[in-house]
Amino acid sequence: MLTRRIDRGADNGKPIYFRFNGKRYQGRQGDTLAAALLANGVDIVGRSFKYGRPRGIVGHGAEEPNAIVQISHGSQTVPNLRATQVELYEGLEANSVSGWPSVDFDIKGSLGLLGGLMPPGFYYKTFMGSKKIWEFSEPWIRKAAGLGRAPVEADPDVYDKLNQHCDVLVVGAGPAGLMAALEAARTGARVIIADEQNEFGGSLLAATQTLDGKPCREWVSQTITELSNFNNVELLPRSTVFGYYDHNFLAILERRTDHLGPVATTGVRQRLHRVRARQVVLATGAIERPLVFANNDVPGVMLASSVSTYVNRYGVAPGNKLVLFTTNDGAYQTAIDWHSAGREVVAVVDTRHNPKGEWVDYARKLGIDILDGYGVIEARGGKRVKAALVAPLNREGSAVTGPPQTLSCDLLASSGGWSPAIHLSSHTGAKPVWSDDVVGFLPGESKQKERSAGAANGTYSLLGCLQEGARAGAEAAQQAGFGTDTSQLPLPKFTELQEQPQQALFLVPHSKRTSRAPKQFVDFQLDVTAAGIELAAREGYESVEHVKRYTAMGFGTDQGKLGNINGMAILSKALGQGIPETGTTIFRPSYTPTTFGAIAGRDVKELFDPERYTAMHRWHVENGAAFENVGQWKRPWYFPKPGETMHDAVNRECLAVRNSVGILDASTLGKIDIQGPDAAEFITRIYTNAYLKLAPGKCRYGVMLKEDGMIFDDGVTACLGENHYLMFTTTGGAAGVLAWLELWQQTEWPELEVYFTSVTDHWTTATVTGPNARKVIEKVCQDVDLSNDSFKFMDWRDGTVADVKARIFRISFTGELSFEVNVPAHYGRYIWEKLIEAGREFDITPYGTETMHVLRAEKGFIIVGQDTDGSMTPQDMNMDWVVGKKKAFSFIGKRSLERSDTVRENRKQFVGLKPLNEKEVLPEGAQIVNDPNQAIPMDMQGHVTSSYYSANLGHSFALAVVKGGLNRMGEVVHCPLADGRNIAAEIVSSVFYDPKGDRQNV
Amino acid sequence: MLEIYCPYCRETREEEEFSYSGEAHIARPPEPEAQSDEQWGDYLFFRKNPRGLHHEMWYHQTGCRRYFNVTRDTVSYQILESYPMGENPTVTTVANQTGDAR
Amino acid sequence: MSEIIEDKATTNTVSASVNAAVSIESPLHYFLGKFSGMAQAKKGAVGLVVEEAGLRGHLNLRGNPQSELFTAGVEQVLGVTLPLSPGTFETNGDNSIYWLGPNEWLLIVPGGSEGRTETALRQAISGHIAIVDISGGQTLINLSGEAVATVLKKSSGYDFHPRHFGPGRCVQTTLAKATALVSKKADGSFDLVIRRSFADYLASWLLDAGREFGCRIETGQR
Repeated sequence: MLTRRIDRGADNGKPIYFRFNGKRYQGRQGDTLAAALLANGVDIVGRSFKYGRPRGIVGHGAEEPNAIVQISHGSQTVPNLRATQVELYEGLEANSVSGWPSVDFDIKGSLGLLGGLMPPGFYYKTFMGSKKIWEFSEPWIRKAAGLGRAPVEADPDVYDKLNQHCDVLVVGAGPAGLMAALEAARTGARVIIADEQNEFGGSLLAATQTLDGKPCREWVSQTITELSNFNNVELLPRSTVFGYYDHNFLAILERRTDHLGPVATTGVRQRLHRVRARQVVLATGAIERPLVFANNDVPGVMLASSVSTYVNRYGVAPGNKLVLFTTNDGAYQTAIDWHSAGREVVAVVDTRHNPKGEWVDYARKLGIDILDGYGVIEARGGKRVKAALVAPLNREGSAVTGPPQTLSCDLLASSGGWSPAIHLSSHTGAKPVWSDDVVGFLPGESKQKERSAGAANGTYSLLGCLQEGARAGAEAAQQAGFGTDTSQLPLPKFTELQEQPQQALFLVPHSKRTSRAPKQFVDFQLDVTAAGIELAAREGYESVEHVKRYTAMGFGTDQGKLGNINGMAILSKALGQGIPETGTTIFRPSYTPTTFGAIAGRDVKELFDPERYTAMHRWHVENGAAFENVGQWKRPWYFPKPGETMHDAVNRECLAVRNSVGILDASTLGKIDIQGPDAAEFITRIYTNAYLKLAPGKCRYGVMLKEDGMIFDDGVTACLGENHYLMFTTTGGAAGVLAWLELWQQTEWPELEVYFTSVTDHWTTATVTGPNARKVIEKVCQDVDLSNDSFKFMDWRDGTVADVKARIFRISFTGELSFEVNVPAHYGRYIWEKLIEAGREFDITPYGTETMHVLRAEKGFIIVGQDTDGSMTPQDMNMDWVVGKKKAFSFIGKRSLERSDTVRENRKQFVGLKPLNEKEVLPEGAQIVNDPNQAIPMDMQGHVTSSYYSANLGHSFALAVVKGGLNRMGEVVHCPLADGRNIAAEIVSSVFYDPKGDRQNV
Repeated sequence: MLEIYCPYCRETREEEEFSYSGEAHIARPPEPEAQSDEQWGDYLFFRKNPRGLHHEMWYHQTGCRRYFNVTRDTVSYQILESYPMGENPTVTTVANQTGDAR
Repeated sequence: MSEIIEDKATTNTVSASVNAAVSIESPLHYFLGKFSGMAQAKKGAVGLVVEEAGLRGHLNLRGNPQSELFTAGVEQVLGVTLPLSPGTFETNGDNSIYWLGPNEWLLIVPGGSEGRTETALRQAISGHIAIVDISGGQTLINLSGEAVATVLKKSSGYDFHPRHFGPGRCVQTTLAKATALVSKKADGSFDLVIRRSFADYLASWLLDAGREFGCRIETGQR
C-alpha cells in the first residue's frame, strides 16, 4: 500500500506530534489536523448525531460537518472546532466531540436497528410528549448526541477587541478578494482584507495552474507582499468575518495564537474586530455540494475539491483508488490531480450523457476512464468505503435505467456543483435568488453597502473571479470616495480550460425508491436523509423553515453549509414545485461558532463594569470598610471593627450618630450646577414645589415627578446666588436627572435661559452628623458663625475648613444636627481625615450606607427607588406638603395628580410597620395581607419597602406601602413568608424617631 | 448597532454614544389643566408604532448632550435624516426616502 | 451680572489653599508610577505612556456663539479664539478651549488661575452665560507611544485615524465603558480629559490594554 504522504521534497514540513482521541500521531508543519489525520489513515473521526454511524472527514474548510473536535483540556479547552480549520502544533490534543463511549465503538451505532426507528421529528414525538420522559432522557441524549463540552474553569487567556474603521472591507482572500483589495488599495482607500484561513490565497493555494508563468502560490505571495507595502491596508489572516450587522457593521474573529497551542498564549489569544466599513466586497467563495446517494456518509466519501486540496496543498493523498462522481466539468480537476499524484483513478462517473469539451478531452488524454450517463447510486463499505455501486441513469438523472455494477475503490469523491457562500449577504437581509445557470442561490439585492464578487457571486472561472474582484474593489473604493469605478490593474496571464454546462442533480436515484433505499444523507451532522425530507413533505410540512425545524436540517454547528441546498431541492421536488418557490432558509450570524471569550474581550473581572470611587475611597479601604454597589459607585456599606458582625457594626454606628457624632462619605450624590436668568422658573417647573423665592444662602428639598405624576427623583436645591443654583440628585439618578433637565429645556422650553452642568465629580462631600456635629466643625472652621441663630437648618455658607475653601450645607438625612462639608475633590481625602481628627474627642464614627438607611428610615425619609417604584405619587408617599398648590405654571406631573387613577381611594400609601414581635425583621419585599389564613391567591394589600432593626428604638421596624394605609393606623396586617412563617405587624406612622424634627434644628 | 449622524457634532457616531428618547414631535399641551383625562392620557401614553418611517428623538448622551430628531425606517433600520430640535422632517413619505443620513 | 455671583459662586478653586500642609490628591494619585507588561516598563521604552498633567484649572463655559460680545470676550480674556467648528479646540499653550457642544466649551487653564479666569470672563461678558469650575472633577492625561492608536482602537468606537482626526480635533465619546474628551495634539500624542470618579477604572483599563506593548503611568511634564 502506498503511503498517504506525497513526497514534496524541500516542501515537506518538519514532523510534529499530536494526539487524537488519546492516540499519538505524527503530522507535518503546515498541516491542518484533518490533513494530518488523513495522512495517518484515521478514517473515523466522529459518530453521527442520531444513528451513531461512523463518519470521516468530508471537506477541508468551514463546511466540514463530521470532524468536529474539542481541542486541549481544562481551562483552555475549546469545543466544536472543525479539524479542517485547526492548524497543527506540537503537542496538540484533540478529541472527537461525538461518539460514546468512543468513535470506534458507539452504542447507538452498535444498536443498529435504532436508526430505523428514528424518523424525523423522533425527538419531538418520543421525548417531548411527556415532560417526565424528556427530563429522564435529556442528559442521555445530549451525551450521546455529541456536543462539545464547555470548559468549567476560568479561561486564563487574554481576549481583546478592536474597533476598526475602513473604506473598503474585503472578505475573503482568494483570487477575487485579492484583486479587490489591490484595486481598492491603490486608490488610497483604507482597506482591510480578512480571510478565515491561515494563509491568503483561497482556491489558489490548491490550484495547479500557472499565473504569469509562475505557480499560483507565487502569484499569491507576490500579491500579499504588494498589499503589505501599502500603509493603508491591513491584512487579517486566520480571521473569520462571522456577522454582518446594521449600517455596515461587521464582526471579525481573529485567532492570533490558537495555532501555536496553549503554551504560547502570553499575548492576545483571539481578537474581535468590530468594523465599520464604508463599503464591503464579499469574496467569500463557494462551497462544493456533495452528491446525495445511498450510504454517502461512509468514511472515504469526500468532496472532490477537498481531495484536490489535500493532494495539492498538504501533500496528503487520502486513499489509493479514486472514483470521482460528478455532474460538472470542474471536478475533473480532482481526477487529474489524483492521476498526477501517481494514484489510480478507477473512473470518473459523470451523470451527463456524452459530456464534451476541453476538460473531458484532457482527462481522456491522460487515460482516465469516463463512465458517462452513470451515477454512483450507493457506496459500499462499513468503516471505510470499499466500492462504488454505479448504474446508468436517464438524461434527467431521475431514474436508474440499467443494472448496477461495482467499482472497487477506497476513495469516493463527489461534486454536485457549487453553492456560493452567500451567508454574509444573507445577514444583511438580502433575499437570495435562485439561478438555474449557476445551480445555486446567488446573493440577493444589496440591503447595505456591499457587493459580492467571484465564486460568492456564482462566477467560477478563475478569469471571471479575477475580473469581478478587480471591478468590485474599484467600485467599492469609488463609492467610498476614492479613485474611479473602473479597474485598472493588469490581470495575470494564464490559460484556463473552458467548462461546459453542469447538470443540476440533488438526489441520485437508487434502484429502490428513496424510502426503501439505504440512507441517502443530506445533512451529515444531524443525520437528515432524503427520505426524512420526503416524509416531512408527506406529513404536510410545506415551508422550508418548518421542514428545517422538523427535520433539524441545518441546525448543527456547521449550519448546513453542505446539506441545505440539496435538502431544499429535494423538498421542492417532493412538493412538486421549483426551488425558487420553496426558497431557502435565512442564514444568520455567526458564520462559524464564535468563542464567548472574544465577545467578552477585556470587559471581565474588575473591568467588567466601571467601579466609580470617591476621593476618600482609599481611606475607606484602609479602614476596613465593607462596600456596597450603588449604581457603578463603590460606597462604604459599614465599617466593621474586629470581631463585629454587620449587625453589630450597624447598631454601633447608628447609636454613635444619635448619641455623639458620625461621618458619612456623601460624595456620590448627583450635583448639577444651574445658571441663568430663568433658572428659578425652570426649577419650579420641574419640581413640585416653588423655588422662585428661595434666597441665596438657602436650601429647599423637592421631589421631581415624571409627567405621569410618579416620583422619580428627589433632593435638595440650594440658591447659590442670583440666577445660580445647585441641585442635588440621588446617587443613581444623577445622569438621568441631567438628561431630564436638558430634555425639557431643549425640546419644550428653549426660550428659558438656563444652563446645566454636572459638578458631581468636582465636589467631595463629608457629612458630619449628630448632636456633637457643631463642636467638630467648630474646631476646623473659624470663619463661619455656626450658631443656630446665624446658620439655620436648610442654610448653606461658604467658609474655610482646615485651610481649604469649602461650602457647608446644613441639611440632614439623619434627622440630627448635620453639616455637609463640600470641597473640590482633590482635597477630599485630606478634609475627611481632618474632620475625623477633629472629631476624635467625640469618638466620631465613620458610617456607611446601611446605617444611613436605618437612620433615615427611623425618620420616615424616603429613598426614591427603594420606597418608591415609579408608581407612587407624592400623595401616596404622604408628602402632599411638598406639592406647591399655588404655582402659576403647571409643573411636570401636576395634571396627572388629578387623573382618575391617581385620585382614587385605596391607592397604596406609605406607612410604618411595627412587627408585633419586636426582634423580628420583616424581609424587604414581603407581601402584606389582611388575613394570612385566606386561600391562595391571597388579596395583596401592599409590600414592605424598607426594613431594619433599630438600635435606637430598641425594636425592629419597617416602611411599607399599604392600600389605604394612611387611614388604617393601629391595624394589624400580616406578611406570610415563603418559609411558612407569618409576621404580624401594626400599621403606624412612618416617622419613628423625633416626630417633631427638633433634633436637626438645634 | 446603528450609526447616527448628530446634526450638532456634524458627524456620524456609534449608537453607543446615544440614547433613544422616544417618538419625536410630541408637544406638551400648553394648558394641561384644560385637558380631559382622555386627552391627557393620549399625550402621556399613546405612541405610534409604525412599520416604515418613524420620526424619533435621540440624545447624544456621551457627546454634545443635545437632543435631536431622526427619521428612521423601522423595517430596514436605515436612517434617512437627522435634524435639530424645532425643525420639521424633510422625509415624510416612503417615496422620497432617497437621501443619505445627512 | 450681579456681585453675588462673582463673590459667592467662584470661591472654590483648587488654588484657594495656600497652606503647604494641605495635601492634594490628583485623580490618578494612586496610579502614578504603576506599569504593566514587560518588566522594564517601569523605566524603559514602552508602547504606551500615560502622563497625568499636573492639576489644571477646568472651567465649563456656556454661552451663545452667535453673540460677538461673547466670542470676543472669551478671546480677550483667554488669548485664544473660541472654537466654533464642532469637534475642534484652540490653544495658546497656557489656555485651551475645547468645543463640547453648540453652546458649550471646556476651558483648561493653568492650575490656580481658574478663579481669576472666571472673574475676568464674567467681567468681560454680559448676557446669558454660565461658567462652572469643575477642576476637581476631572483630569487631563496624555497618551503617547507607538501603541497609542491601537490602544484607542481597543477603547473607543470613534475613528481616530489621522485622516479623520488630525491635530486640532477633539471629540467627546465613549472610552471603554466610561467617557472622555479626546484631543489630538500637534506632536501626534493624544490628550484625554476623564472624570475623576472613573479615573481608577480608566487607569486600570489603560494598563490592561497597554500590557502587550508595555504601559506606564507617570506624572506629566507636558
